[in-house]
Formats: sequence, C-alpha cells, structure tokens
Amino acid sequence: MRGADMENQDMTKTKYMNPYLAGIGLGLTLLLSFLVLGAGLGASSGLARVAACMELYIAKAHTLTSEYFGKWGQNPLQYYLVFMLVGTFIGGLCSALLANRMKLQVERGKQSSVRLRIAFALIGGVLVGFASRLANGCTSGQALSGTALLLTGSFVFLICIFVGGYATARFFRRQWND
Amino acid sequence: MINTMYQLDTLDSAKAFLASLLIGIAFGFFLERAGFGSSRKLTGVFYFKDMDVIKVMFTAVITAALGLTCCIVMGWITIESIYLMPTVYGAYVVGGLIFGVGFVMGGWCPGTAAAGLASGKMDALIFLFGAVIGSALFNEMFGLIKPLYQWGQGGVVFVYDTLGMSKVAFNVLLSIAAVIMFWGCEWIERRRTDQSLGKNTSVLKTLSVAVLTLAVVLVAVGSDLPSGEQPTGLVGGVISFESQLLEAIDMAQDHIEPEDLADRMLRREPGLVVVDIRPVIEYLDYHLPNVLNIPMKDLHQALMPYKNIGTIVLYSNGMTHPVQARDSLYRSGYTNAFILTDGLNGFVERCLTPVSLRDEIVRPETASKIRAWRSFFLDSAAPQAEPAPPNVGGT
Repeated sequence: MRGADMENQDMTKTKYMNPYLAGIGLGLTLLLSFLVLGAGLGASSGLARVAACMELYIAKAHTLTSEYFGKWGQNPLQYYLVFMLVGTFIGGLCSALLANRMKLQVERGKQSSVRLRIAFALIGGVLVGFASRLANGCTSGQALSGTALLLTGSFVFLICIFVGGYATARFFRRQWND
Repeated sequence: MINTMYQLDTLDSAKAFLASLLIGIAFGFFLERAGFGSSRKLTGVFYFKDMDVIKVMFTAVITAALGLTCCIVMGWITIESIYLMPTVYGAYVVGGLIFGVGFVMGGWCPGTAAAGLASGKMDALIFLFGAVIGSALFNEMFGLIKPLYQWGQGGVVFVYDTLGMSKVAFNVLLSIAAVIMFWGCEWIERRRTDQSLGKNTSVLKTLSVAVLTLAVVLVAVGSDLPSGEQPTGLVGGVISFESQLLEAIDMAQDHIEPEDLADRMLRREPGLVVVDIRPVIEYLDYHLPNVLNIPMKDLHQALMPYKNIGTIVLYSNGMTHPVQARDSLYRSGYTNAFILTDGLNGFVERCLTPVSLRDEIVRPETASKIRAWRSFFLDSAAPQAEPAPPNVGGT
C-alpha cells in the first residue's frame, strides 16, 4: 500500500529536465569554473576537509602531524572546494524545492529494507571517500572536470569507475527490488 | 586574456570562496534538475534502465571541452592558467575500480549526494558520512598506501598525446563518440523500458548537429591558426618574436654558467629542473645527480608542467643540441629554459677538475668550493681518492 502511495506521489512531481539540456547547463557551469577559478568542479575534496576538521577536533596533535591531512593546517575548511560543496547543497535545495521534489525518505526498492539500503550507502560511502583520495578526485573533479580538460588520468579513472560499477552491480541490485 | 584565480594564486581569497559558492549552487541546481538527487535514478545506468547519467555527463564534458577549446582558439585563456591534474596511472586505476564499486553499492557519488541530501534523501546523508570516514581512513592509512598513491606517475598528460593524435583530431573524435553514445543510450532505454524513442530526440538531434558542426569549425579554425595567432599579424609577429629571441641570446639571457649551476644544485634550489637531453645510454654512463633524462623529441610534452615555473636547465655533452632545444622551447612560449654554458664537458672541466690537476692558481675559497662540488657531483661512495673526472665524449 505504501508503495502505491509513493508511486502516486511520484506522478505529481515535476518531471526532470531534459538530460541533454541539463548536461549543457552543467557543462557551462564547468566552463565558468575553468575561466573564473582556473580549476574544475569538485566535491570529494570538500568532504575530505570535513574529515580533517573532525580529526582535528578528536586528536589535534596527531592530525597536524599526519602526512596527508597535516599539510592542510589548523583550518582545513578554509578552502574553495568546501564552499563549492556547500553551494552544491544550496543549489540542489533550490531545484528540489522549485520542483516540489523535497521529501524526507530513504530511497530504496519496495521489497528492500531500510537497514540494507543504509548499510550499502554507508559502506559505499566509505569506499568512495577512500577511492577519491587515492585518485585525487571523484566523479566531479576527475571524471567530469579532468576529462573536459582531456587529461589522460581522468579518462583512465572514468573508464575504471564504469568497469568497477558494471562488474559488481548485480551484487547490490536487491536494494532496488520492487 | 583572462587571468584565473589559480594563475593569480588567489584561490584562498574571500572572492574565490564566494565564486566557488556560486559555481557550486549552479552545479547542485543542474544536478538536481537532471534527476541526480535520486540514487535510484543514478544507479539505473548500471542496470541499463536509465542512461541519463551518461547522457548528462558526456553532454557536460563535450560542452566544457569544446567551449574551452573555443576560448583558447580565441586567445581568451591559455590552458596553462588552469590547474591540470597530473596523471598517476596505478593509483587512478585502483581508485577508479574501488570508486565504481562504492558508487553502485552506495548509490551516490559525492556531488550528487549533496544534491540528494538537499532533496531529503537520508541515504545520501549516510553516504556522505561514510565518505568522510573513508577520507579519514585514507589519512590514517597513508603511510601504508603511499606507494600505491604514487604508483605510475606520468606527470601532466593529455589524452590526445597518449593516443598520438592532434588535439583538434581528438576533439572531433570525442564529439563523434559522444553523439554515437547518446543515440546508443536512447536505443538501450527504448529496448529496456517500453518508452517510445522520440521523447528526447528533438533536443538530441539539435545537439548532435551543433556538436558536430562545432567540431568541424574547430578543425577549420584550428588548422588555420595552429598557435591561435592572428593571421594578419603573423609575419610581423614572427619577425618581432624572432628578434626577441635573438636579443635574449645576445644579452646572454639564454645560458647559465657551470659554477652557478653547481652552486644552485648543491643547495638544492627549489624549482630548479636540470634536464639531460642525451641518449639514455650516455645518461646511464654518467649524469649529474637529480636530473631528468628526456630525449629531445619528448621535451615539449615532458616539460609542460615546468613551463614558466622555476628554472629549466638543458645540458648535453656540448652546446649544439641544448641550444636548438632551448630555442624550440622559447618559440613555444617557454621563457624559463636555459642552457648550460660549455655543456657537460665544460662543467666537468670547470667544476669537477681537482685542484691538483689545474694549471691556474686556485684561491683557497675556490678550492674548498671545488671540493664540495666534487663530493656532491662525483660518486660519494669513494670520496677519499680523487676520482678521475667522468669520461665524456664530444658533442
């Protein structure tokens, strides 16, 4: 019954933007970022800065002397990509409110449990956070910005994301079972 | 010409933070508009159910790539004024594979999760929390991971160089590949779900024509203006440019003396890049410490990260090849490339000849300098005996 309700609600929501037009919008945003900042878009760096901030709160001396986070100093949040991440949230909020798509929920298949979806989201998040540091960026900084700059490493990263994703997709499919 | 904040080194200013916030707002807005505030929609691409991820992403890539190329051709910006991430092959392959698993498992990537959280998705909040933990884990494990993180460093590499094609040709190839991919995505969606093809095709048709036209225009413009110079001023431009080059040579701004180089290498001057342009076999026989060995033909590509940053010093046994290489670099806009006066032969003779073998009278401070140079530049394993200067051939 709940599933049917959700479906009805889905019907009332505003349709998504045409993907190609949304892509042009994103591409122009990226171009603007190149021309103004001299750097592409980024999201995972902002999260890593939040992680550094948390570690500083828990163990200050240890964090400041650690080899990776240490070089960001006492105020890791004073970084342009932290502001970009906040902006991404605000922009998403504006669009979701305008389209009447704002709804508190754990998105999952009707047959799937909240617990399973949360567990997958958590572990997936850990893997993505770790991999983003290893590859100096995520889908925003590498796969989108780096490929637009025609950098070899970004193409390598992008291809490997799809290889990793398609190779293991079936193991995680049950969270979307209806 | 636009000066970017990266170029001006003002990315840590309040102005940059505000600009980043505004750019982020546009980024998040379009992510949510596209439907990327839904993990179910995002992961649909991995089950061939919803191909919008590929459509949106590649439209964005092609828009930004062609747009940037246009700006460069128009002379509004140079590629050097944008931060170019160096390629680390091993780390990016492993990172990409792990990221792919995390993406399909968690249903999000960092940017889309921010947009997802904004539209009330609690799984996005959990995912972001996980990503913060993952980042902290990376920091904690950095000592262990460092070899992997640095595995396969290739410097700043462009994909068209990797594939051995021109930039213009690659832009065209990318445009064609994107258009084929878009139609492929529509075809997959039509087969998988019973939607009729035609929903998006009017926009897609326009886009396809626009992308391919722009690519063709770039070919025409790009082959006319290889360096983005105005055709009318080309001849005059070349002459004044060559005059500048000759003037710099005349004023001896193009070379660096062996003693000067020896001192600067000894104190490990930051930003000093010394390049041995001899064949590998000669390089292996003897070379100055901490130098790069780059064959002449690869100089332009390999030195890109150091273009107009720090000091580049080219050396060979003599001076002919370095002079030619340096002039070639100067013509491509390098203003920080120098040659070593008298080459390696001169360096050995002037800096590394032991005091006892010199004809001229050596002042005590010069003698101690020579001893310091010798112990630094010659094999430090056998410093007690005076090792013979390395046997270097002619140019």
